[in-house]
Amino acid sequence: MGTPIIRFSHATFGFPGVIALKDITLEIAEGEFVGIIGPNGSGKTTLCKAVLGLMRPLEGSLQIFDCSCEELRCHHRARIGYLPQKGRLDQNFPITVLEAVMMGRYGALGLFRRPAKQDREIALQALANVGMQDHHDTALGHLSSGQQQRVLIARALAQQPQVLLLDEPTTGIDITTQHSVLDLVRRLHRDLGLTVLLVTHDINMIRPQVDRMVLLKTRLFAAGAPEAVLKLDILQQVYGKDLVITEKDLIIVEDYHHR
Amino acid sequence: MLEMLSYDFMQRSLWAAALVGAICSMIGVFVVLRGLAFVGAGTAHAAFAGVTLAYLVGLPPLPLAILFGLATVWVTGVMEEKGQMKLDVSIGILYTATMALAILFIGLMKGYNAEVYGYLFGSVLSVTPEELRTIWILGFIVLCIMVVFSKELYFIAFDQEMAEASGVPARQIFFLLLSLIALTVVVSLKTVGAILVFAMILIPASTAYQLTHSLSHMTAYSVVIGIVCAVGGVMLSYAWNLPSGPAIVLLATTLFFLSALFSPKRLKRAAAL
Repeated sequence: MGTPIIRFSHATFGFPGVIALKDITLEIAEGEFVGIIGPNGSGKTTLCKAVLGLMRPLEGSLQIFDCSCEELRCHHRARIGYLPQKGRLDQNFPITVLEAVMMGRYGALGLFRRPAKQDREIALQALANVGMQDHHDTALGHLSSGQQQRVLIARALAQQPQVLLLDEPTTGIDITTQHSVLDLVRRLHRDLGLTVLLVTHDINMIRPQVDRMVLLKTRLFAAGAPEAVLKLDILQQVYGKDLVITEKDLIIVEDYHHR
Repeated sequence: MLEMLSYDFMQRSLWAAALVGAICSMIGVFVVLRGLAFVGAGTAHAAFAGVTLAYLVGLPPLPLAILFGLATVWVTGVMEEKGQMKLDVSIGILYTATMALAILFIGLMKGYNAEVYGYLFGSVLSVTPEELRTIWILGFIVLCIMVVFSKELYFIAFDQEMAEASGVPARQIFFLLLSLIALTVVVSLKTVGAILVFAMILIPASTAYQLTHSLSHMTAYSVVIGIVCAVGGVMLSYAWNLPSGPAIVLLATTLFFLSALFSPKRLKRAAAL
């Protein structure tokens, strides 16, 4: 395992009167592929926001790239490529694919500097990495859901990040596209040496892909190799009667799939 | 028609209209995309309250208009950021409160003041050389800031949280945008008036929105439409002896409906169905 680049130490996150994550102690090493799972409201998105430096711990500490999240500056944030949950994208927003991907360069460029030819090349390379180079002039809203996810992953890659943070990247897209998006993430992890944090509800889909899983329900219930985390007694503690495990070892969580 | 260009007042009016058209339509792109339409309206009325207070106490109107405009956008911005109130609710409260203040200040004035009503309805034909110089200076500052920070402004319009997560100081840029809206409103008050400035911010950008799928093209189209409507409106008002503010806005509205009707985006979508 590589050097730890994200360190939670007894960290608690939330808002006044509401605790979203409590007493989290966790290390993410450079080059790891970590799946973050848990039921609705378990604190997965809060964990994402914490890693992005958008939330500070109420108690404990969080270190990212060897600096505390209170000291996290814009250039640190630019080292984390982020794919937010789907559904926030305005389909009518007038933006081409290349314009959207170029936005990935803005944080790294900083204020006052204009994107140069080199930035455009980085953006086009990012599009090539996700197989969308032929669509650079297309309106983002004209693409299918899966293609839009690829473009937004390219936007994150254009930051030339060390860490790729994906919040529910397969929600709302068909099963074939879900597999192709996950295969793409796996390939990017392998080829570019990225540290990947993938938040998802779909335990079965990511089980064969990730090095490690983190199971949350306000607290950290388990962290380790998928076979160590996906044990019946652990899962039942977290999902309760919503959990169904089929004969083929498929894990079905009722609260997610039946809504 | 060309004889109008020989008059000094018409030259000043056309310059003022072109500049206001350019600034309003450029800031309008970010207002439309970021969903801040109501902020423009609220700020215009707050700035007008500043103007009426200035006339009541005998101060120059510009600084108080800027003060009232900036205070309104900053208060609403802070309230939204702290999660205390949605932006449209807080701006709605301040909008009506500042309008009430403006009516109160007008009521406290002794007699009828035509200049005050000029700020409410716009009087581009009566722009003085000093006012034109002020419009140039403030307009130039606003345009320069918008150009310098355009990439950050586009990003927060697209997705503010994503921008912040990517290392853009999104919160500061959002407050910069609110401040630029306030300054744009103040620059435009004399030309199109507090009631119609909102339309000049909104309509050219909304018209451009109908025509393209590209951010850069939308901005270019919006600025061209804004200048054409502002200058065209002044010319129409001269030619047909119409009030200038309404002439500008109605010309812009006509272009908007035409663009909505013949929008390539809509026609393409309709053809695909």
